[in-house]
Amino acid sequence: MAPLQAILEKCRTRPPNILATLQAVQAATGYVDPSHVPLIAQALGVTDSDVHGVLSFYHDLRTEPPGRHHIRYCLGDSCIAMKAEASLEALQKSLKCGVGETTKDGKFTLDKVYCLGNCALSPSMMVDGDVYGKFTPKTVTGLLKGRK
Amino acid sequence: MARRYYVSNDVSALAAGADRVAAALAKKGATVVRTSSRGAFFLEPLVEMEASAGRVAWSNATEKDATQILSGKGATPVEKIPFLAKQTRFTFARAGIIDPLSIEDFKSRGGFKGLQKALGMDPQKIIDEMKASGLRGRGGAAFPAGVKWQTTKDAPADQKYVVANADEGDPGTYSDRMIMEGEPYRLIEGMAICARAVGATKGYIYARSEYPHAIRKLRAAIARATEAGWLGHKIQGGAFDFELEVFVGAGAYICGEETALLESLEGKRGMVRPKPPFPAIEGLHKKPTVVNNVITFASAPDILDRGGAWHASMGTEKSKGTMPLQLAGCVKQGGLVEIPFGVTLEAAIYDFGGGLPKGSKFKAVQVGGPLGSIFPEKLLKTPICFDEFAKAGGILGHGGIVVFDHETDMVELARHFMEFTAEESCGKCTPCRVGSTRAREILEQIRDGRGRPEDLETLKDLSDTMKMTSLCALGGLAPFPVLTALQYFPKEFERKPKSR
Repeated sequence: MAPLQAILEKCRTRPPNILATLQAVQAATGYVDPSHVPLIAQALGVTDSDVHGVLSFYHDLRTEPPGRHHIRYCLGDSCIAMKAEASLEALQKSLKCGVGETTKDGKFTLDKVYCLGNCALSPSMMVDGDVYGKFTPKTVTGLLKGRK
Repeated sequence: MARRYYVSNDVSALAAGADRVAAALAKKGATVVRTSSRGAFFLEPLVEMEASAGRVAWSNATEKDATQILSGKGATPVEKIPFLAKQTRFTFARAGIIDPLSIEDFKSRGGFKGLQKALGMDPQKIIDEMKASGLRGRGGAAFPAGVKWQTTKDAPADQKYVVANADEGDPGTYSDRMIMEGEPYRLIEGMAICARAVGATKGYIYARSEYPHAIRKLRAAIARATEAGWLGHKIQGGAFDFELEVFVGAGAYICGEETALLESLEGKRGMVRPKPPFPAIEGLHKKPTVVNNVITFASAPDILDRGGAWHASMGTEKSKGTMPLQLAGCVKQGGLVEIPFGVTLEAAIYDFGGGLPKGSKFKAVQVGGPLGSIFPEKLLKTPICFDEFAKAGGILGHGGIVVFDHETDMVELARHFMEFTAEESCGKCTPCRVGSTRAREILEQIRDGRGRPEDLETLKDLSDTMKMTSLCALGGLAPFPVLTALQYFPKEFERKPKSR
């Protein structure tokens, strides 16, 4: 609880910014534990429902611990045009995990995203901070190699 | 002086392997400078070298090419690369040439000249130049930038804001990303010009979280620009203060809509506000706020430097200047194409994009992001400008062009667009929230061969309701790709029941 208090201490702006606060909590702890909502609300001087409203609105904010590596798989228009769904299927089979889920060993969380801005080299995905493009169902899983 | 080699550190260049090539060159003792990208992404990694007659380049370089590159053999003069030679670049004139974070590089190529000029001008004169330029917002709505700035300038308030909409959410677009990663000082300069014109002292760049590289570069650029006196207190020793900050979004497409963006910037759910009041009068924290797209701000420095009349001399009657088009999807040569308005869609796809890759045949193209209309082959002669596109039943949006090939299932594509809207709808208004989900369900049924005779009528009726009664452009435009797919490819929607 101590680290949470330290983060909240830094987020006491006037007026309070709930989104920035939740982003700061997630950056430090990987996710926002829903049981901490009342604490966060109290620190910011807003209601629990204000915080819950923001927490449940944004795709990026998560309420469960993520895997060690984060895959953001693009399903934007350009990637769809370049058959991204076929490679996603191959990736899901190999990871044995669906979109929005984390692999059993806790290694990867697979999320979908609408556009990474790498549309000239579609299909695309981002693994942690690295962007990959122009892969195929055969090559996509190889791109995850070397991560622990 | 040792020869310098230039390799881009733009995200797409990195995805193509630019880091590996740069490392291989450095290992052999070469001096490597990391620059922005020319935007000819199909040629990345592109290694450039300064030769007596200008830059020469090696395209699609790999680590194995390092020896050949260092021997100087097999290079092409950059100005002879047809994809680049045929463009008219001013917003992207420095793309691929300079180190994105070097203020010195930026200034040596004309950077900060527009702001320098603006600092000595009467604010109204700045806005007059913007109006004379005919610049229309590049985010999608195409509203005249000068008029928006005037509105905020004329609104009395103790605090005003300038906000860059850098939530480049339209899938298939990346020009904002290229500016933020490749030339962040251009955006900073444009925003400072606007702030000086309207009387704002605080600005925000609302950047999407999907662009971590851009966010890092923007933050570094803001710090360096502040240190160099181009931001902060008493800019360049004058009386003008302007502070700038990056705010990172959290993965919500709707936050590219300006009022939802402002709600999000205030830390709330990204829910659309009814308009009026417009943000120019009542925006962030209820204060007058200019919200412009990144490319709109990035166009301002040249307009101030060269004059509004110069800008107005390019393009068509009602679409002045150039448009950075972004070629994507099923094209041979994907990349950024900055050309004056008026060029046909066909020329963009075939002359610049090189057409479709071998084995693929053209089926349809979508311009303007996921809310843009689907055009079939017969509409390829449409000139790229706001009015001609509107006449043809489409939108230019942020300039994304996504090409689909013969294998594309138009019903599935239409369903994809409605799923996108259903997921990204903020939920404030019923037509968008419920309509998109209902439309997705209908399209799913048709796709799976479970369609009923009345489905298409229901879909059209639903679309009309969404178009006419949605609060913002998401619900209002979402039916367009679906209706145009239905209009131009009707046979595909008459699917007989089958097992899928």
